[in-house]
Amino acid sequence: MPWLCLIVFFMFAFNVHADDLKIHGFVAQGVIQAQDSNFVQNDGEVSLKLTEIGLNGSYKINNQLRVAGQGVYLNGGNRYPEGFRVDYLFLEWKLLSDADWQLKLQLGRNKNYHWLYSATRDVPHTRPSIVLAQSMYFDAFRDFALGVDGIMAVANTQNAWGEWDINLSYGSTPVSNKQRDRLLGVHALGKVNHDKDMQASIFWRPKASQWQFGVSLLEVDFSYDAAEQDIYFDGATKTQRMNLHFLYQSENWEFASEFVREKPTLNGLFFPSYKLKTASDGGYVQGRYFLNPQLTLMTRLDLYDRDRNDRSGKKLEALSDGNIPAYFGYMDQLTLGLTWKFAKNIQVQTEYHRVKGTGHLAPYLIPNTEFNQHEYWDMWAIQLMYWY
Amino acid sequence: MKFGGMATKVSFIGLLLVINLALSTAYCAEKNIRIIANQSVDIDRLDNDQVKRIFTMYQTNWPNAQPIVVFVLANQNGTHQLFSREILGVFPYQLERIWNKLIFSGLGEGPIRVQTESEMLAKVKQQPGAIGYVMTSEIPMGIHLIQLIEEQ
Repeated sequence: MPWLCLIVFFMFAFNVHADDLKIHGFVAQGVIQAQDSNFVQNDGEVSLKLTEIGLNGSYKINNQLRVAGQGVYLNGGNRYPEGFRVDYLFLEWKLLSDADWQLKLQLGRNKNYHWLYSATRDVPHTRPSIVLAQSMYFDAFRDFALGVDGIMAVANTQNAWGEWDINLSYGSTPVSNKQRDRLLGVHALGKVNHDKDMQASIFWRPKASQWQFGVSLLEVDFSYDAAEQDIYFDGATKTQRMNLHFLYQSENWEFASEFVREKPTLNGLFFPSYKLKTASDGGYVQGRYFLNPQLTLMTRLDLYDRDRNDRSGKKLEALSDGNIPAYFGYMDQLTLGLTWKFAKNIQVQTEYHRVKGTGHLAPYLIPNTEFNQHEYWDMWAIQLMYWY
Repeated sequence: MKFGGMATKVSFIGLLLVINLALSTAYCAEKNIRIIANQSVDIDRLDNDQVKRIFTMYQTNWPNAQPIVVFVLANQNGTHQLFSREILGVFPYQLERIWNKLIFSGLGEGPIRVQTESEMLAKVKQQPGAIGYVMTSEIPMGIHLIQLIEEQ
């Protein structure tokens, strides 16, 4: 990781002054159960696999250069690989920061600033719910959606129409075998490569308005190098994704909504001449009501269709000779939640999900029909969180 | 008909009074908040948009390239609530979320929090490039007052 060496060099090349170093962190532990589903664990039992711990630092080298990094330990059961990871670590070069424009470049492992909650999806107290809307924030793809090792440009300006955020990123992410298993199942023996990831987004907050509108575009390339004794062949996939983002914030309530249209193409993998071109879509509408500074109510309707030309999943079932039930073609859920901030920097969050379908569970390409035998399933979670 | 007309007129005047009272309250609140800065800051006037840009941490340098050091009071503090709503035009929870995103995604740094207005005055006086806000009219020597002006 040459970028890591570069950042460490900058950290040691300059004297560290305590005033220029900012440290923050968070700790959260919860209890979760996704009955009749392998979302958290295969047996669907009550689980403590809802741990999120993070520590971050930001050090100003001078008025233009800054190093920022965060390490996290996560345990989400089947949702993503358990363990420690570098969440972000980059060198920031501030080119401009005046009354009209802010422009900066980040080199290293960057965060995804392109969606409403992507930048802090692992930071419990910043989320509207413990489990985010899966149409947009699909947990099995979490590690690829978090950010990239590469370069990011962040710009912000204001003019007569309001405030504008513009973000551009380019890079890739190393893929571990555990992540491979979440995409292809445990029988895959080859190597998944995240070859290229390009994202762009623009957000607009109209002047004297509480609205925020955004659009983001993503193009991502993956390839698969099959092992000698593999059930898969070499393969490559390209996915294009367009998202729309809406946020309205009033004094006592908030409305948030995001929509996604994804167009994946797949060549090879299942057999050398295999070709698949499809389009999935989904989105959610979410409302939050602030009863008082301590208590927040949340409700959300989240819809996802794996193939927009097969919303019922019947073609999927037919093409698999009945091996994959139709309910793997979609995943819709209604969520109700409550957040209680009962002390400074401490809160407890709880929620209940009623889910129809299993279309957005890991492993994604080879659905797990053994542990997901019900079209309707429930999930609940409660999590205690502290941050500083 | 005549009585109905009178009632309409009285209601209209009442409505005007209520609007006027609401506007006056907002105006007074805005007038009572004082934007304060360290003596090293050579800016005398800022409009609301510029103040918002500084407190949301988008503008991090003064025009002479000196770094801006932002001090804020706690969320539940009455002065902070008024400052947030009347000067910045955002609710305190929105500010909190903006700062959380900066702090926990590496995008930037949050402001420095102080507990009381007297602590705010002391820190702003001491820290070069500092900016803050208070309600008190007792501004000690060595603090630079920034005038809030209509949008430029």
